[in-house]
Amino acid sequence: MFHWLEKNPFLFSVGVFLVIAFAGVITLIPSFAEASRPVIGTTPYSTLELAGRHVYIKNSCNACHSQLVRPFKSETDRYGDYSLSGEYAYDRPFLWGSKRTGPDLMRVGNYRTTEWHENHMMDPEALVPGSIMPGYKWMFTNLADIDTAYAEQITVTDFFGVPYNKAVPMKDGSTKTIFMGSTVEEARADALAEAKLVAADMKNQDVKDMVAKGQIPEIVAIIAYMNSLK
Amino acid sequence: MNKLYLGAIVVTVLMLIATYVSFDFKHGSSDIVNQIAILGAVVLVIATIFVVVKYVRQMQTDTVTGELMDENWDGVGEYDNPVPTGWAIVFALTMIWGMWYYLVGYPVNAYSQIGEYNEDAKVLNDKFEAEYKHIVGDKLVEMGESVYLSNCAACHGLNADGIDGQAADLNVRIEKSVVKDAIENGSNNHLLGMEMPMPDRNGLFNMNTGALITDAEIDAVSAFVANGMSGAGADVFAGTCAACHGEDGKGMESVSPNIATYDSALVVNVIVEGKKGAIGTMPKMEVLNKKQKEAVAAYVQSLSN
Repeated sequence: MFHWLEKNPFLFSVGVFLVIAFAGVITLIPSFAEASRPVIGTTPYSTLELAGRHVYIKNSCNACHSQLVRPFKSETDRYGDYSLSGEYAYDRPFLWGSKRTGPDLMRVGNYRTTEWHENHMMDPEALVPGSIMPGYKWMFTNLADIDTAYAEQITVTDFFGVPYNKAVPMKDGSTKTIFMGSTVEEARADALAEAKLVAADMKNQDVKDMVAKGQIPEIVAIIAYMNSLK
Repeated sequence: MNKLYLGAIVVTVLMLIATYVSFDFKHGSSDIVNQIAILGAVVLVIATIFVVVKYVRQMQTDTVTGELMDENWDGVGEYDNPVPTGWAIVFALTMIWGMWYYLVGYPVNAYSQIGEYNEDAKVLNDKFEAEYKHIVGDKLVEMGESVYLSNCAACHGLNADGIDGQAADLNVRIEKSVVKDAIENGSNNHLLGMEMPMPDRNGLFNMNTGALITDAEIDAVSAFVANGMSGAGADVFAGTCAACHGEDGKGMESVSPNIATYDSALVVNVIVEGKKGAIGTMPKMEVLNKKQKEAVAAYVQSLSN
């Protein structure tokens, strides 16, 4: 009955491939689509946070720090809840990292503060004796690149429909709207307003002066980003 | 007995001897894994020889039986033999298993990473409960120290001195600047879960003078509190602060925190609620469980007492 199949090996191979591929598609795609949807409470990055994320990438923080809490008791005890794939919905690219020379930073915003980061970035060993992390002093003088962050916001909104200026549901049932300026000037002003809030909690007078003058040093941006990691 | 069987027996015996010689009975025989391995080696030798002999015999003696099927492929035909019973049974069982796996096995018993995490966490939580639920005294302080070192030391420092004012110095109950800040600006850190804030200086009357608290009095009472409730300023404390914080400064339940010494309720509340005050912001420490919070409280108390 099926000899005609055996006599057409190429057709047979294609048929087998199609059957298995179809089974793969219907088992993989729905669960993948479900898992990659943003988790309730995950919000897009604000302009300043995104600029901080660029500072994070520029300084290769991900070479030593991961952003992925694995589902092991030893990790959830230390860092908080294990990561869900939907929490990375607005990470482009994701910064899971593959090596933990330093601790995981997935939820660092929950247990570290602006002042702590400020002191720690200047001189890690002063706070954590024996730490091999270098100081990142230049972040206190280099300016954060707000324009590029804004460009990324526009890109991800256009290409991937990231919900800027739209209500995003939060865990407690409320909603939160992450603002994205309609012009670059608006984005700069928004980033500066956010930077002022961060700088208010900082102690370094030079940084405070810069922010008061309308400049945003990298340290402010990266602290805003760190605080957003929850 | 023909040559084939004789050869098989010789090879079997030789290989068993080789196995025996290569095994270190002096050191290895008590180890269960080694015992299983040596048993496996023996079975493997015998089974291999048996199978080889069976098929060599078959090649030597088997003759063509049965009928060829109609079709052939370039002259290569196929016997029209019935399906072997054993094979048919296994095939049927496989189909039944397939049904079970498709309808019950996979949907109900599928592996899940999170499921494994939950099981793992339950075992460890139970173990923690069993081992540490009832510890008190020195043991609790000891646990508190280890929790402190891994979670708190990053800000409060290894010596709990607050690293030059970056966080509270836990070796003393309260510093003068902190008391002063609370009096001048008021305070509400939900330290005991209460909504009522402490008023700022415009709401603090000194009963002794009947007027708002003055700069000099703030200075005096701050020094008094920071000094462990002793020295000058006791009268200001009695007139202004004692109404809420108690005459001994030990606070009142659901009204005010203890400002004379650390107590467990206070420390646990700071860990749960976090704090924003004169020194800076302390985040909530949500990763700690109940017992660990109590332990940290015990450790903090042990530092200043």
